[in-house]
Amino acid sequence: MSPAPRPYTLVAELTYRCPLRCVYCSNPVDFHRSRVELATGEWCRVFSEAAQLGVMQVHLSGGEPVLRDDLIELIQHARSCDLYTNLITGGTLLDEDKLRRFREVGLDHIQLSIQGAARESAEIIGGVRSHRKKLDIARLIVKAGFPLTLNVVIHRLNIAEVPELIALALKLGANRLELANTQFYAWAAENRRALMPTREQYDSAEEIARDAIAMYRGTLEIAFVQNDYLSGEPKPCMGGWGRSYMCINPTGEVMPCHAAAVIPGLRFDSVRDGALGDIWRDSTAMNAFRGDDWMMEPCRSCSRKEIDFGGCRCQAFMLAGNAAEADPICRLSPHHAIVESMRTDSGPDDKLIYRDAKTSRALSKAIRSN
Amino acid sequence: MKAGGAWRPRLASRARLKFDPIAKQEMLLFPEAALALNETGAAIVRLCDGIHSVKEIADQLSNQFDSADRDALVREVTEFLETIRARGLLQ
Repeated sequence: MSPAPRPYTLVAELTYRCPLRCVYCSNPVDFHRSRVELATGEWCRVFSEAAQLGVMQVHLSGGEPVLRDDLIELIQHARSCDLYTNLITGGTLLDEDKLRRFREVGLDHIQLSIQGAARESAEIIGGVRSHRKKLDIARLIVKAGFPLTLNVVIHRLNIAEVPELIALALKLGANRLELANTQFYAWAAENRRALMPTREQYDSAEEIARDAIAMYRGTLEIAFVQNDYLSGEPKPCMGGWGRSYMCINPTGEVMPCHAAAVIPGLRFDSVRDGALGDIWRDSTAMNAFRGDDWMMEPCRSCSRKEIDFGGCRCQAFMLAGNAAEADPICRLSPHHAIVESMRTDSGPDDKLIYRDAKTSRALSKAIRSN
Repeated sequence: MKAGGAWRPRLASRARLKFDPIAKQEMLLFPEAALALNETGAAIVRLCDGIHSVKEIADQLSNQFDSADRDALVREVTEFLETIRARGLLQ
């Protein structure tokens, strides 16, 4: 086996608790099972070990990381390890005082989610009244001197708002705007029929974003994350399995990405039971789809296998029933027809399933009994 | 577009220079990405403080790296600054 690659980025999911109920949430549908979060000292040890392995950036994520009452200490420790430290937050629990303290301990950057440009649709998506508060917080983040990324998950219910979202990002003084089309995992997969935009909506949004990217280059960086069902291009998911990213969930399990638990049979080792370096290098889960030995045709002989790494392993499992297959997004996949049918299988009037503990319990029971 | 020797570039607040002890090179870190810099690039970034003009940055570099062709150096510095400005790393 070749030596393990160097990790550059750590996504630290500090908690799955969250005051929002977003219908596209990327936390596992059975998140309510993960109760005993890593303690302060455990996270600090993880940050130190990550920095020694070569990690440069840490994203403090969730759930809502601001619910951790040791967040200041965690930021301080990450910065003392010289990690570029980014807080990914919904913002609803922030205030001027907290922002000032984050500044004092050296937080580098804040990524704030908003659910849309218009209050009504944003609050339908987030399931909580929070839009005005979020805009107030965005202003306070900029006022406190932080560089700000606005992240908006894009789908059928807000895709028409792309021009307004760009205008809003400029008005708020954001440095970066992520127009992140929904990736259909976890809660977003439960709501796929309601969230899938039409071909016309998607192409129009992409064109507007493309023009804006060129127009605001150097002032506002705009990232348009594709909807792979509609773009038809398999994504180089996480830059390849276990190559440069690692995600650690609230209970300390080390994963190649936050969605990987959907793949059956993978055992994720926890930082509670071993050193991060050993887990990154040796754990069976991190090695399951490293390199290309696992690839089947058409990936194995494909000239693009070092470009897209066969697409997403989780999606291959979800759509083709085998995580080692080509991602069915690829037109060369023998299972591609299912993607073609899902593109137009929309249900704009479907009842939305909100992410919360009660629904998580109900859906977990349904998963178990299947 | 800002250009010319009078421009006084300043590193954007979201970008931070960090020495990578594993690859033994300077990295310019910013949200979701990083640029590996050579010695000259790192020296230029260190002078992006909103005080030094492009001409002054080139002057300092020509002393530091003993460059004979001043005009070529100013062009190189300007080109490099344009590249990182387009990525939103200067303000």
